[in-house]
Amino acid sequence: MADVTLKNVRKSFGTFTALENLDIEIRSGEFVALLGPSGCGKSTTLRMLAGLEFPSAGEISIDGRVVNDVAPGKRDIAMVFQSYALYPHMTVGQNIAYPLRKRGVPKDERAAAVQKAAELLQLEPLLDRKPAQLSGGQQQRVALGRALVREPKVFLLDEPLSNLDAKLRSYMRAELIELHRRLGKTMVYVTHDQLEAMTMADRIAVMHGGRLQQFDTPDAVYNRPANRFVASFIGTPSMNQIEGTLAGDTFTRGAMTVPLDRARFAAEDGPCVMGVRPEAVTIGTGHVAATIRLVENTGHELIVSLALEDGTRLLSRVEAGRRLSIGQTVQITFEPDAIHLFAPEDDGARLNTDEDASVIPMRSH
Amino acid sequence: MSLPSSMLRKIVLNFVTWSLVAVIAFPLFWMIVTSLKPQSELFRIPPTWLPETITFEHYWRLLTETPFLRYFRNSVVLATTTTVFVVLLGTLGAYSLVRFKFRGRETLAMLVLFTYLLPSVVLIIPLYLMMVEIGLSNTLLSLILAHTTFALPYALWLLRSFMEGIPEDLESAALVDGATRMGAFRDVILPQLLPGIISTALFTFILSWNEYLYALVLVNSDSVAPLTTGVMSMLISAFNIEWSLLMAASVMMSLPLIVVFAFLQSYLTRGFGAGGVKG
Repeated sequence: MADVTLKNVRKSFGTFTALENLDIEIRSGEFVALLGPSGCGKSTTLRMLAGLEFPSAGEISIDGRVVNDVAPGKRDIAMVFQSYALYPHMTVGQNIAYPLRKRGVPKDERAAAVQKAAELLQLEPLLDRKPAQLSGGQQQRVALGRALVREPKVFLLDEPLSNLDAKLRSYMRAELIELHRRLGKTMVYVTHDQLEAMTMADRIAVMHGGRLQQFDTPDAVYNRPANRFVASFIGTPSMNQIEGTLAGDTFTRGAMTVPLDRARFAAEDGPCVMGVRPEAVTIGTGHVAATIRLVENTGHELIVSLALEDGTRLLSRVEAGRRLSIGQTVQITFEPDAIHLFAPEDDGARLNTDEDASVIPMRSH
Repeated sequence: MSLPSSMLRKIVLNFVTWSLVAVIAFPLFWMIVTSLKPQSELFRIPPTWLPETITFEHYWRLLTETPFLRYFRNSVVLATTTTVFVVLLGTLGAYSLVRFKFRGRETLAMLVLFTYLLPSVVLIIPLYLMMVEIGLSNTLLSLILAHTTFALPYALWLLRSFMEGIPEDLESAALVDGATRMGAFRDVILPQLLPGIISTALFTFILSWNEYLYALVLVNSDSVAPLTTGVMSMLISAFNIEWSLLMAASVMMSLPLIVVFAFLQSYLTRGFGAGGVKG
């Protein structure tokens, strides 16, 4: 078990800066997801932790030891690649045994360790096969087996589930959570899938444009997004963001005015952005008029696309079974406790003073 | 009664194909037949298609009365050493061209091919003068170096396209698993590269084995001559060509290649494929 720390890390490729001012402290035994759209620097971060890329500036340490110049093999980490990177010419057993072989573990100990890993991952009947003879899910498990066989301090996982079909993915997600609970090792998990990050991680590092946007628990990231990017990236469908003006106790956009409790916000009068999640937009009563443009029925809920009088589009999420028809004009309300305000810039910071917004206690497993 | 057109097509196609095969194979067939005919039957008109009596006397004379075996040994040493050089340098070169990102990488790769664009006649005289200057003229080593220079560019490009097909993740995984860079190369890259190495080795071996011009210019002492020039100067003079001996020599020269081809043919065609895709 080990802490992993990135201190003020920067990474440039030529004139292109992939990462800047990256500060992340991962606690021992924690499951951390690095989440962001492609090109946000999350994979580069992971590769730097692995020692496959070297930081241009800053300090990376694992278990208290600065590892900036330490070769990948000497960091006591294991990595699962998106492509699995199984050695095609070796059998499953040889693949799993390879990290042990490279560390000079005697043959009988090696065999025992491989056996143990194979049992854990239900790979025993496959040990003599070649990777090409396995299904995607089986290859995935072999890659995991190779990672956990020598019991490293830290596991690094680079989008390990992205090549699996949806059903297998949700199964493997549960398996990984279970595995983390059993091994209790530090895990760093790169993904662009917010569902994976939300369901698996103790804490999520949301990244965008080479910068860390927020590093917090799934609940905090969802309920108290640090800025407009996190607010729009986390949650499906994503948070409504309405540009307008704040003056006194009201937020105004065109003909729409929304009363606000100013004590909840550290915002000054002027242009700002109001954020409301679709589930906090209720249809039926209220003082804002909107027209229904589209109703999508997912079975257990309806995603309703609304247009305000000035054409602004909004999404609302209501329980299935409501009778709503396209073209109908309805009154809507924004739940006052669920309103966020952001500075008007593209990555504008959240301006709420609260630490509340229906906080759910941190999950631990 | 008319044949269905698909049948006709098949027949025409077969006819054309087999005619081509016959045209290509005939010299080989004639070479073998001539090498087995007794002297008296050689120039008979009309020619006999199959020898009336089969004799191995030409082979026997070649092996016992001429320096054929020495030429053969020279050729084996020449082609083998060249192949080892080319594969070794080509593999390491291709690895660095694919894996390491450095300024001018593409330019370098193109420049390497540049020598390939020049006709060998242009290079051969400067090369000869250089060999004389460094005291290597008239040695097998000078030929090995010369053959290496003209086989390496192609080998480099061939191996590069094979190398590009090996995912970088494999090597990264080996590094994370505790291998050194050399260890990862040996454990993971080499086994994946093996088909590429074999086909490159074959191309190089054949190129070096059959090469004539460099051998003619760079080496003029009989003791280090390879088969191509050795056999030529031995059996072909201004007044006479020893046809039967020449054919026997040709058969024995082709034999190693045919054997190697038979065993490694599938690798070779894979090499053609890789070269074709990457161009």
